[in-house]
Amino acid sequence: MPAVALIAITLVSKEKSNLIRQIANTGIFLSLLLSGYVFVNYNHVQGGFQFVEQIPWVIPFGISYHLGIDGINSVLVLLLGISSFAATLVSKNIKDRVKEYYILLLLIVLGTYGAFLSVDIFFFYFFHEIAAVPTFLMMSLWGSGRKDYGAMKLMLYLTAGASIALVGLIALYCHVGLNSFNLIEIQQYLATNPLPVHVQYWIFPLIVLGFGITLTLWPFYTWAPVGYATAPTAVSMLHAGVLKKLGAYAILRFAILLMPQAAAVWMPVVAILAILNILYCGLIALVQRDIKYLLGYSSCSHMGYVLLGLACINVIGLNGVVALMFAHGILASLGFALIGFVSDQTQTRNLDELGGIAKRMPFIATCFSMMALASAGVPGFANFVGEIMVLIGSWDAYRWQTVLAVLGIVLGAVYMLKTIRLGFQGPMNAKWAKLSDAQTITEKLPFVLLLAALIAVGCWPSFILRNIDSGIKPLSQQIQKSLNQP
Amino acid sequence: MFPIIDWNILSLEVSITAILVGLIVIDIAQPKGNSSRLVPTLSFLALGALILFWLFNGAVFGTTFNGMFVSDSLSWDFKGFFLMAMNFILTMTQQYFKTSGDRLDSFYYLLWLALLGACLLASSGDFLVLFIALEILTISLYVMTAYLKSDKLSLEAGMKYLILGALSSAFFLFGISFIYGVTHSTRFEIIKGYVDFHGMDPMMLFASILVLSAIGFKIASVPFQQWVPDVYQGAPTPVTALLSVVSKAAGFIMLIRLFFGVFNAWHIQWETVLAVLSAITMCYGNLGAMFQTNIKRLLGYSSIGHAGYLLMGAAAGSTLGASAINFYLLGYLFTNLAAFLVIVLFYNAAKSDDISDYAGLAKRSGSLAIALLLALVSLAGIPPLAGFFGKFTLLMAAVKSNLIWLALIAAVNIVISTYYYLRVVKTIYVDQPRVTTPIAVSFPVQLVIGFAITGIVVIGICQGPFLEIAMRSVNNMAFLATYVSQ
Repeated sequence: MPAVALIAITLVSKEKSNLIRQIANTGIFLSLLLSGYVFVNYNHVQGGFQFVEQIPWVIPFGISYHLGIDGINSVLVLLLGISSFAATLVSKNIKDRVKEYYILLLLIVLGTYGAFLSVDIFFFYFFHEIAAVPTFLMMSLWGSGRKDYGAMKLMLYLTAGASIALVGLIALYCHVGLNSFNLIEIQQYLATNPLPVHVQYWIFPLIVLGFGITLTLWPFYTWAPVGYATAPTAVSMLHAGVLKKLGAYAILRFAILLMPQAAAVWMPVVAILAILNILYCGLIALVQRDIKYLLGYSSCSHMGYVLLGLACINVIGLNGVVALMFAHGILASLGFALIGFVSDQTQTRNLDELGGIAKRMPFIATCFSMMALASAGVPGFANFVGEIMVLIGSWDAYRWQTVLAVLGIVLGAVYMLKTIRLGFQGPMNAKWAKLSDAQTITEKLPFVLLLAALIAVGCWPSFILRNIDSGIKPLSQQIQKSLNQP
Repeated sequence: MFPIIDWNILSLEVSITAILVGLIVIDIAQPKGNSSRLVPTLSFLALGALILFWLFNGAVFGTTFNGMFVSDSLSWDFKGFFLMAMNFILTMTQQYFKTSGDRLDSFYYLLWLALLGACLLASSGDFLVLFIALEILTISLYVMTAYLKSDKLSLEAGMKYLILGALSSAFFLFGISFIYGVTHSTRFEIIKGYVDFHGMDPMMLFASILVLSAIGFKIASVPFQQWVPDVYQGAPTPVTALLSVVSKAAGFIMLIRLFFGVFNAWHIQWETVLAVLSAITMCYGNLGAMFQTNIKRLLGYSSIGHAGYLLMGAAAGSTLGASAINFYLLGYLFTNLAAFLVIVLFYNAAKSDDISDYAGLAKRSGSLAIALLLALVSLAGIPPLAGFFGKFTLLMAAVKSNLIWLALIAAVNIVISTYYYLRVVKTIYVDQPRVTTPIAVSFPVQLVIGFAITGIVVIGICQGPFLEIAMRSVNNMAFLATYVSQ
């Protein structure tokens, strides 16, 4: 669906920016509906891949254009649908080069949809990388601050990660020896004939390191705060919210589920790095004055929980990871959208300059406070569900890491509340007397939509969990079985 | 005994020679003064006819002149490759010499002569024919490189190229004489028969090192790469394009013929040498390109880097490796020639090759900017463009032959190359132009640009058919060692 909108926009002339905007909105909205439909109609009792579509593509290598939905990616596709729709809605402030903007935005969305839906490992990578160059161009063209530096840094880190992961994936393909990139076939084959352990040992870290860079694995997280701070709002939303999750998704799918023996050996290392992510990035976030940087570091810190969950390799932990990916995706989109709204009006993101703006924009301030509470892991929001599952999952395997991770939650509460106090509450800076709140429905819609998703999942977690569980459980049981075999 | 000559096999070469002679005769016959239009037009028409002939006549396979001239799938496909490249190079020539029509006709003869040399080289089945073909190609390149009589850089480039080229030819001849000394023949068939049944002896080792160095000069691999940046910068741009695509492809045909065919029995001994050369070459090229300010020089260094990637396929030593080289070269043809075409057109408008002058090209000419953007992104190897799948197949060939370390070095190099290509992309799209006059591009030239863009995108997305052509042309190659690993 985004592809159709993309072609439609390319054909429309440059001057008609309103028409372009409408086409983009409609296209993304339709794909949101489509992903909602797929999500709701996914049969979680039956499990496995549904809605499958397959066309052989490169026959000599066994590559096929192969899309399908299972429990795990149905949730993530829904996340993408919601975030991308919100991201398109907040883009209405773009006035310059509107056509190019929407073309690039749609390319990113298209690539991400493709990556989540691909059942073929080659096409996963292919789509995953399609989003890279548009991101770079959007950051350099519509970004702010040190945008050249930020865009180049993000691009180089992500390319490095992707290239390393690519070598890992190719090595995996060659060693499986099925001459096929079809994930289902590889899964079934490896379930009965696991790779030799010594091969797993070196392929596994390549994939985890490669996609770990996308997931801001400590110490390769430095691209993220700078990148998000300099990127235009929609890109920060999509990247922090969704694209980053591709890294976790790939580690889960291609590394842990395919090479459990190596995972059992390497994952304690990842767990330690995860704790460093949580605490180190959390501490940095504590001293930030620029709200976008603060959210960037906080997002790296949250990724620590995702990594910790991945490290536990048990049903509840992995379920928690996917739930947390969903929750954090919505949260990050919401956070960056709010900051984008504020900084568009005030031209600053500095906590010292802001202050008291809640009086002028009560709606935004309320949304921000709720976002902050969700980020701090208060029950009732989706993040709580994910975090608690991850922590329960990791308790047995990593006792002291779990204790430290809980400390991280406290840290998160501290910096979020500090931001509210300095930025939104307190005496009003006289400069901001003329600010206006989000008024029309279209202005409010993205925030309401994202908040609604957070609260809905927070209050009724099984809405997403039953799908996730149907995806994770069979695979995870398979892993346990193969780990228990000598 | 006079050999029976099968003219059918030679039809393409004979036609090229006839065209060449015909053009010279027409040029001499017509009165002085109004010569500048006729030869270019006839060249285009003749080339069009040849391309149609290549497309629809179907390949004629066989050998003639007692096996000195071989027409097989490899040579036939590469002849198509050269004709396609000539199409772009003639367009460039026509644009480049728009302003100075002086002595232009002889430039066209030299182009045709170079084409003849390249086609003969693809078909040679004997070291002497190979040498003659190589000299036909190289000597016309010497003359064309120094073609701008009043330009110091061009003369310097021609001189450098001549001296180093002559040296490499001398090496080559020296090598052939050793081979003749050992095997009593220059015929590939007989030498292959010798190699298949003998171990490597010092004499043949020495000879093949000399031959390899001549190939290294052609493809610009370390340690024979020193001429590249200066010659690429100094030569007229169409000649640079010719050097970077046709001459490099010619080198790789020699490499495939000799090291996948004739000398393949000794592959084990060669593997490490080629792999190390590949690693050093790609690092040299990419690191050198990082800080260049002249775009032709940048592409010169980057072409060294690409030679390094391509050597990875040679080091793999499997048919997959050779097919990967073929596929990569096909993508490289469209990509690199699109870039050089833009450079020619830009030079006509701005009289400069400095990257800083490209600032804001997107605002001056949309089509040039898009073409250069796609070309550079494809060279960087980012999907969905042709360069990506080429790198993917090369990496796969390397990993399959257990050259993981080489694949990882290549992955690092991809990151480095992303940096300098994207720097140019940023200049084109983000920076403010110093001169804002739009650059007009005539309709026929836009068609050629459109063709190149189509090539880049189509090869990048529908990789299957092209990969199958690349594999077929290797698998049915003459002298292919029977036990080459798949």
